[in-house]
Amino acid sequence: MTISSSFDNEKPEHNPEPVTIDTFSLLEEVSSPQLVQTGFNPALSRIPTPQTVSVPLDLQVDCVPQWKPRRIPLKCIGLTLPDGMEFVPEQQPKLETSDGVQLKKISPPSPKAAGDSGEQKQKPTRIRPPADALSLQDRLFYLLQPPLESWLAGQELIMPFEPFSYQYEGIAWLFSSQAALLADEMGLGKTMQTITAVRLLLRSGQVRRILLVCPKPLIPNWQREFRTWAEELPVVTVEGNGSRRRMLWQMPGVPILIANYELVTRDLSEMPEDDQPRFDLVVLDEAQRIKNRDSNTAKVARAISRRRSWALTGTPIENRPEELGALFEFMEVVPPRGCPDMRQLSRLADRYILRRTKDLVMKDMPPRIDRDADLPLTDAQTAAYRIAEKEGVIQLNELGDSISVRHVFELVLRLKQICNYDPLTGESAKLERLAADMEEIAASGGKAILFSQWTKTIDWLEPRLKQFNPLVYHGGVPVKKREPILQKFKEDPDAHILLMSYGTGAVGLNLQFAGYVFLFDRWWNPAIEDQAINRAHRIGVRNPVIVTRFISTSTIEERIDRVLREKRELFEAVLGDGDGDGNRSLSLNASEIFGLFDLKARSQDGSRSIGPKCEEQDAA
Amino acid sequence: MSESGQDNQLRLGFLETIEIDGRGRIGGLLVTNHSGRPLEFQCTTPVRPNRTQEILFGESLKPWLLGELIGGTLLNRVSIKPGVVITSDPLLLELRNHTAIPVALAEDEGGADAHQTDSATFSTDTEPNSDDRPVRVGNSLLRFHSGHQADAQSLKSRQHLIPDSADLKEPLERVREALAETVRTVFSR
Repeated sequence: MTISSSFDNEKPEHNPEPVTIDTFSLLEEVSSPQLVQTGFNPALSRIPTPQTVSVPLDLQVDCVPQWKPRRIPLKCIGLTLPDGMEFVPEQQPKLETSDGVQLKKISPPSPKAAGDSGEQKQKPTRIRPPADALSLQDRLFYLLQPPLESWLAGQELIMPFEPFSYQYEGIAWLFSSQAALLADEMGLGKTMQTITAVRLLLRSGQVRRILLVCPKPLIPNWQREFRTWAEELPVVTVEGNGSRRRMLWQMPGVPILIANYELVTRDLSEMPEDDQPRFDLVVLDEAQRIKNRDSNTAKVARAISRRRSWALTGTPIENRPEELGALFEFMEVVPPRGCPDMRQLSRLADRYILRRTKDLVMKDMPPRIDRDADLPLTDAQTAAYRIAEKEGVIQLNELGDSISVRHVFELVLRLKQICNYDPLTGESAKLERLAADMEEIAASGGKAILFSQWTKTIDWLEPRLKQFNPLVYHGGVPVKKREPILQKFKEDPDAHILLMSYGTGAVGLNLQFAGYVFLFDRWWNPAIEDQAINRAHRIGVRNPVIVTRFISTSTIEERIDRVLREKRELFEAVLGDGDGDGNRSLSLNASEIFGLFDLKARSQDGSRSIGPKCEEQDAA
Repeated sequence: MSESGQDNQLRLGFLETIEIDGRGRIGGLLVTNHSGRPLEFQCTTPVRPNRTQEILFGESLKPWLLGELIGGTLLNRVSIKPGVVITSDPLLLELRNHTAIPVALAEDEGGADAHQTDSATFSTDTEPNSDDRPVRVGNSLLRFHSGHQADAQSLKSRQHLIPDSADLKEPLERVREALAETVRTVFSR
């Protein structure tokens, strides 16, 4: 590079001609002592005056590394829960219902109180999905429900009493069951558990229309229990003439219909298929009524269009274990006509039956004290008994192979009646003992219930117990008069004894204010006896219940008692481990009835035992 | 409370997450009425951050993952919007930075100690202010995000809609059980 420069103001001292300078050589010379005077030095010593010029900033960066986090893909699984039935808004707590039942809203125990007492907090009862709920949505529906305690306490559901923990479990179990057999021992509150589970199902929108079928005498009981436990639920009872009943069956917007077995059987079997009502839930109370699967009642019950099937009974096996099969068929957990064997029954029972006994769940409940009153017959009774037995056996023996269970049964009944009282003289060892016991009971202001197999015996007893103001409750009493009788027994302090028949009084009644139960004679089936006893020994009982079984010594009653004790073991076996002889019956069967006597027919070589050869029949 | 329906109702949201071995974390949001009756439930598929995200997010990874990603997705997804979201995980309070709905941490009566332990593990952005007093709702104590202390006041004004007996930690247990059931039923196949 060459630079040409001329300075007008400065005269060259030594070399006036313009020069051409090699810049690099010049710089070398400037730094050296022999600096060549070129006129460039003054320019170097001048202070530069920099000038600023604004330049727009380029925001576009051409090449800068950048990283954006990748959005992690996230999907959702959703479940919208169904709307439940709208309940009446919460109101100020009512003091009483129309029945005079004191109501209170359940409130949880205060944390402080629990801490002070050192008691462990009760584990809340969660609703578990049933084993047959396969879809995730179905399972989540149950899992997401609140614990029953907070559900019942926190919402506008007024409960008159706080349920026991086993009842919470039962409610939760029913709530999540499509098919269920609640077989709690009598007196543990099957009715209350059912009503509360129904209430919650309605509340959560799982069901909208329910049919409850029960024996006719129990309809007032159910109505009363609904008023007590779910006063906000509209309950309609199917009754009246045919056209009214047809209207009730078809009436929309009724969440709960109550009907008795007879009306259900009659109305639904006559109804055209298109008019048949449909239900979300059908509940059969005292479901042993359909134990015979060929009966009209059972057929009609199975034909009802429904999504859930519940059965309630304290005695799921009254006679044979196979009766469970009929209930399972109604519950649609076995195929039509399916006959599960003992092992299958036991497995099905584990899954579909919930049974608790008082011994297990009501440890604080006053005990039931059983005592057998072994009473020798009076002289007149003994004479009558011996004659009847001797003549009867002779007659039976003479029948030979033509003997039937009916012939033996008639003799048994005759002998049992003599054990109650001698028809000729009216003597009765049992009455003497009963009167003695009742003196004591009445003196202490107590109340007793007496059960007999025969209305005739009850009617015979009534005038003989006048001093205790007996009340009579059996099948001969019109239905309308029955409820007032129970009310009187409850309220009248002078009415000390209620005389009932097993058939009418054994089921569904709450008589826990009676502290004494007399079994004047024995029923054929221990389960029925238990039902009878549990009218008194049930939830709410405050004192021990003393059960007295009258057994006439050296008579057929002793033999029947022995057989019945053996029957109990089978009942426990099926609902327990489920092992045993599947053909045995809880009632006395024909063999067992024959076995009560040593019957022999004459033959060429002396005598031989006689009895039924093939099919065994239930006696009761 | 326009988002949650009528003014005389208070929908409650219960948000929880659980870790699935080797598959990441899933979250669930249960919306209930004021007394705990379930109305809607949503849960996510499992989500697991990759290595790059772990490095880049550092300590803020978990609040981002739980609060923004899982919580935000669920809250957007539910059709019934809750008036308040309740959780037992302090990390999920981060959700409050991404929504207008109050988010609260349910604590036990003696939960202060537990809270201190938890707070050591999450970022200062989401750490509740220890000076802030929790609000008692039902029988539970609710603590709010330190950056949104007005939420406490907002909830106090609607506190009467929740029964005194309400246990606000109990529904969280239901959410955890529902998540476990979902894992068993769907994701373990």
